[in-house]
Amino acid sequence: MPRLRSNLHFVFLAVAALCPLLDTLLPEQLRFADALRPIFIFALLGLGLNVVTGFTGLLNLGAAGFMAIGGYSYAIATCDIYPFQLGFFGALLMSALTGMTAGILLGLPTLRLRGDYLAIATLGFGEIVQSIIRNLDVITKGTQGINPIPAPILFGYVFQPENYLPWYYLFWSILTVAVVVVSNLERSSVGRRWISVREDELASACMGTDVVRAKMSAFIVGAILCSIAGALWVSYLGSTGEPGNYDFQISIIALCMVIVGGLGSIPGVLLGALVMIGFNSILLTKIAAWINSLSTVSSTNVLASPNNWKYLIFGLALVVMMRFKPEGLLPAGRHYHRRGK
Amino acid sequence: MSVLLVNSLCMRFGGLVAVNNVSLKVDTGQIVSVIGPNGAGKTTAFNAITGVYPPSSGEVIFNGINARRGLDGANVIAIVSTALLAGFLLLLICNAQTIWEQVINAHYVYLEPFPWTKAVREFGSFVFSSAAWPYFVSGFLLGGAGATAIWFRSRTSPFILCKAGMARTFQNIRLFQEMSVIENVLVAIDARAGANLFEAGLRLPSFFGKRRAALKAARELLDFVQLEKFANQPASALPYGYQRRLEIARALATHPKLLLLDEPAAGMNPAESEELITLIERISERGVAVLLIEHHMKVVMSISDRIVVLDYGNKIAEGSAAEVRANPRVIEAYLGKEAAR
Repeated sequence: MPRLRSNLHFVFLAVAALCPLLDTLLPEQLRFADALRPIFIFALLGLGLNVVTGFTGLLNLGAAGFMAIGGYSYAIATCDIYPFQLGFFGALLMSALTGMTAGILLGLPTLRLRGDYLAIATLGFGEIVQSIIRNLDVITKGTQGINPIPAPILFGYVFQPENYLPWYYLFWSILTVAVVVVSNLERSSVGRRWISVREDELASACMGTDVVRAKMSAFIVGAILCSIAGALWVSYLGSTGEPGNYDFQISIIALCMVIVGGLGSIPGVLLGALVMIGFNSILLTKIAAWINSLSTVSSTNVLASPNNWKYLIFGLALVVMMRFKPEGLLPAGRHYHRRGK
Repeated sequence: MSVLLVNSLCMRFGGLVAVNNVSLKVDTGQIVSVIGPNGAGKTTAFNAITGVYPPSSGEVIFNGINARRGLDGANVIAIVSTALLAGFLLLLICNAQTIWEQVINAHYVYLEPFPWTKAVREFGSFVFSSAAWPYFVSGFLLGGAGATAIWFRSRTSPFILCKAGMARTFQNIRLFQEMSVIENVLVAIDARAGANLFEAGLRLPSFFGKRRAALKAARELLDFVQLEKFANQPASALPYGYQRRLEIARALATHPKLLLLDEPAAGMNPAESEELITLIERISERGVAVLLIEHHMKVVMSISDRIVVLDYGNKIAEGSAAEVRANPRVIEAYLGKEAAR
């Protein structure tokens, strides 16, 4: 079964494509496909981080910074308070380009740093992006955020906020394209170069790999994916929201997704996104609705709202996971290979 | 003609002189060994030759080219263009608010068509105004200094020497443990002729030809070191002696003119070191010059065309196996003064 195992991400995507169909068969209170949309966006973010941290082994704590840059570029390119007013794909391209530029600017001076120092530099980058957006209010409207973002129009079709299905398949197709490209990269000379840098930088350099260039290419691919995730997030919300929405917590959630799924594993990232974001947006909302429907629990009880105890479960799950399955839910094929010997 | 010429190489770490004034020469097709007691500076000399450390003084001439590159035209162009770009970017970033106000906000009336030519002219006049040049100059200096520093530090680097035809193995095996045997070899081939990001990510037609050629070359090399049976096993699962052979195959995959082997026979039993001797002779027959560090005297004495002896960082003897064996200074270094008398 190793072939199926290494292609599991395509199985996941196929199942996701069928979810809205399944949804119509379920009773009203159990429907969930609507809530898969943010999961697609976060899966894209995780995919970008996975290229940098999972494949190339560069700990990046600034994923939210790239997401913010992508999101704000998309907002500035589309919103009618600015003169640009590009279409959906034009704006997506714009945010990918600004994300890429930011990746190059951050990468040039920092990619020669080793391990932990790079992590600190990217952490600083995430904070800087947030403060710049908050304070550059002539351009970014500061803490108000940019809104309204016009609904995307594709081939004459207007995406209405009321109807989730077109959005669902839009995000699904973009995620699918990204998964195909990243898995192509992983199974090619480029992916091997990234992994060889993670495994042993010196040996890789002595075999003729331009290490800085390999790291830079990983950083650029990661930055592009993260900023596209940001652009989709903004179009999904219809607003950039407050700059504080792109804080360190987002970077950490993205990192958790990659680690819970399995560092360097594409199906792992998809599953990680489902587990981490789905826990919050599907499972907990269902539980909250169920608790409210029980007349025996009074609404003043602190346990009645899952928001009061969700991080408790979350933290506990992470501790248990790191104790019993530190390599992730779906470890990368190479790890798997090694255990099977 | 000599492949490698080392002229009075010195390697100092603070007050410690690890390699002192060592000169050596490897001619085409020769097998030269470097021997010496533990701590004599053999591996340090190796690292200085392969560009892992920049030598404190002295020069390494590989294939007629100085391994420490000087400043050439391409470097100057790269440095100047980086500096120009940095100047322009700093100008934009530091004046983002003013530029936005003067170029965008001053001309954009809500939902009216935007006068692009006027805005571009306004932008041009700001960039060339006297308010802008201090930013440009500081950015130019900053970028220029950064690019120069990067050039200075990358004057010797393992990957450039590897591209020029110098390959090595390591004293403590440094394979890419998580990768399969064949992937280890492929990394070295990719660095020479791998697909780029676009070819690999989008599976362009040119990708498949490169992949086929790389796999063929990798299989041939595994065949050469008799590891073809293990091609798809993880490198970490190979027995020790085979890992050494895989490292040699990986080094050969870079198409070297000179192969540096750092204690290839360490930890091998007599049968294995016998096999190693044949392997090194077969490598030499392929026209690859070999520079060898070894403690295993049987290996050294049977295959070396010339032997260089180091002790406390100094070269104490050089010559054929018989000459070195009879040299009193060598006997003294290995066995002490009493034995030398």
